[in-house]
Amino acid sequence: MGVGDYILQGILAFFLGSELFSIFGIPVSINIAMVLAGFLLGIMVGATPGLAGPVAMAISLPLLLSSFGYHASALLPVLGFLIGIMKGATVGGAVPAILFNTPGTPDAYMTTLDGFPMAQKGQAKKALRIAHFSSASGDTFSDLVLFVCAPFLAIIIEAHLDLPEKTALLILSLSFIAAVIGGSPAKGLISTGLGLLAVFIGTGEDFYPRLSLGTDQLARGFPITTAVLGVLILGAVFEGIDNLLREKRETGSFSAVRESGDQGLHWRDIRRLMPYISRSALIGTAIGALPGIGSTLAATLGYTVGKSRHQKRKSPDDLDFGAGAPQGIAATEAANSSVSGANLIPVLSLGIPGNAAAVFLILAAESIGGFVPGPAVFKFTTDTVNPELVIAFGLFTAMAFANVLNWTIGGLFMRTMGIMIRIPKQMLLPSVLLLTLTAIYIQETRLEAIWFALGFGVLGYAMRKLEISPLPFVIAFILGDKLELSARRAFSASGNDPFFLFSTPIATILMLLAIGVLVYTARKRRLEASA
Amino acid sequence: MIEGPDGIRTLETSNIGASPVDNRSNSNAVLGGLCVLAAALVAFVWVPLDVDSGVVEQVRRRVQIGDSLAPVTAAVFIAIGGLLLLFVERRSPDQPVLALQNVRFIGISAVIIIAGFLIMRFAGPLTVDVVNWLTGDDLKYRLLRDSAPWKFIGYFIGGIFVVAGLMAQAEGGITRKNLGIAVAVVIALILIFDVPFDDLLLPPNGDV
Repeated sequence: MGVGDYILQGILAFFLGSELFSIFGIPVSINIAMVLAGFLLGIMVGATPGLAGPVAMAISLPLLLSSFGYHASALLPVLGFLIGIMKGATVGGAVPAILFNTPGTPDAYMTTLDGFPMAQKGQAKKALRIAHFSSASGDTFSDLVLFVCAPFLAIIIEAHLDLPEKTALLILSLSFIAAVIGGSPAKGLISTGLGLLAVFIGTGEDFYPRLSLGTDQLARGFPITTAVLGVLILGAVFEGIDNLLREKRETGSFSAVRESGDQGLHWRDIRRLMPYISRSALIGTAIGALPGIGSTLAATLGYTVGKSRHQKRKSPDDLDFGAGAPQGIAATEAANSSVSGANLIPVLSLGIPGNAAAVFLILAAESIGGFVPGPAVFKFTTDTVNPELVIAFGLFTAMAFANVLNWTIGGLFMRTMGIMIRIPKQMLLPSVLLLTLTAIYIQETRLEAIWFALGFGVLGYAMRKLEISPLPFVIAFILGDKLELSARRAFSASGNDPFFLFSTPIATILMLLAIGVLVYTARKRRLEASA
Repeated sequence: MIEGPDGIRTLETSNIGASPVDNRSNSNAVLGGLCVLAAALVAFVWVPLDVDSGVVEQVRRRVQIGDSLAPVTAAVFIAIGGLLLLFVERRSPDQPVLALQNVRFIGISAVIIIAGFLIMRFAGPLTVDVVNWLTGDDLKYRLLRDSAPWKFIGYFIGGIFVVAGLMAQAEGGITRKNLGIAVAVVIALILIFDVPFDDLLLPPNGDV
């Protein structure tokens, strides 16, 4: 099979999957319905302050697995649904930011700066249209970069990196994530170390499961769902309730603003916005391709670069950034949305998750089986069919289809979601907690899993209170086993060379980079502290 | 502070309620010291006592990596992080100030959840015992755990306890409205997780 055949097979696998129903004799595949359902759900959760894409992904995963089973045929509908959520949530986050000055997702915070002032001036619909257009543009650009870059990167890695280099690459990824997430390399390293320690409990090659304290409970190790959902979701729920308790924040009453002026998005508007959208899309894509940096930084950088351009080029009548400038919304939304596609570059080409949404995609793929994200996926075998490659192109098709949905119905659906802000957080958060614990139980069917998740939730809360990012913990938990296995093989293949991580020039460079990124960020932190 | 990657600080949508920070706080130094101590305990006490093989092992004249290397590496990560906190970020300007009320909050929350799940665990079997006592039957909960309404009893009561308890904690008291919402939430979850799926077991029915 040639490259074209694989792409065609992927497209057909998506559009001609199991038939759900037919319209005028034309079969509609379950994959199409799942991407649509995920996308609409994603917009809803994105538009609900207190929820976000990863929460919806976490809760729907066990239901999806139960519905579709653990067979390769489940991959496209399940991953398609999760991709739909990921994309929908990015768009939906702008709704409460613009209408109510409350970002639905953290990366929509900068959108409030110009979106809410526009809404206050009666231009809410126009602001939402600008946010949607910019978000869809950034997302589409980012996906195109993913489609082109991921296979090439994977082929290069597979061709040039052997076991020591792959081990060094995993160490570099962990070191990079520890150094850049949360702004404190020290706390990032602690978070990474805790994640590694947790995943190593109850595993290993000895007959006795290591670090299990002689108990059966620990001998089986911590289920991945308890660690991931506990630290990410339960920790965030605890923090949210704590904040509510302390601040006694009032919710539910909003002043109505009457719409005024032109609400449409015209070609002349688009022409004015495009320079901001294109710059931010590039920034977001570049940031998204690096694991762990995230969409909030992309939004901040996109906004800052846009602001600087606006100050130089604006006419005297134009509003400043922060006072209701449409360019401010465009710069932010294009930047944060262009992260989502590019974030899958390290997932698909290296098997390294870069953000929380990617964590759930890997979790789903690992649970179902038959698709292991990493460089091996992009083996273009000619004599036999590589089913993983067909799935990869099926996923690309799902992403492209979600973009089509975004361009066609996304804006309309997004503008109806303002109502989601009215759900009070003090009712939403406890419900999300029970929902998450129920989702964990039905996957593990033992109360131990609830206790583990609760323990990880407390850890996640403590980490947040100590300003330690929980994401390095989760990524280390996911990559820990892979790192150990890779190191064992590399050590063995190098003839038991204790310096196997420095045995080749590429591995040495990767290891030096791993140390260098930590030293650089620590030094920068020290200078900031003393300034 | 709004943090980097999407989805991580999802439930904190503004600065309101974030941990207060204080330039004079020494929490980095305390945390750093604790991390170095914890890493030393892991590497020099827990791992040697609770792992069978060493860092490197010789098996049939072949040297291979033992089970201790990975957890020792994790401890090294924690120790380096702790040392950086102690010596590089000790005077960092944005150190969180921890309060006793954080510990109290998480303690109360954990108690509510643990109590709720214990109620969930025992409410069903207890109900069956009461019915047996009243009717003289010899029903066994284990045999009824997949049939309605028995399978919902524990989840319904325990779930309401958890949701209403946490709402009461957030609002400083229980109201009829909150109780009604808790009932509605639990019914909705039963409809989502149990009714459409034959093969899923609601808590605690996998344990009883």
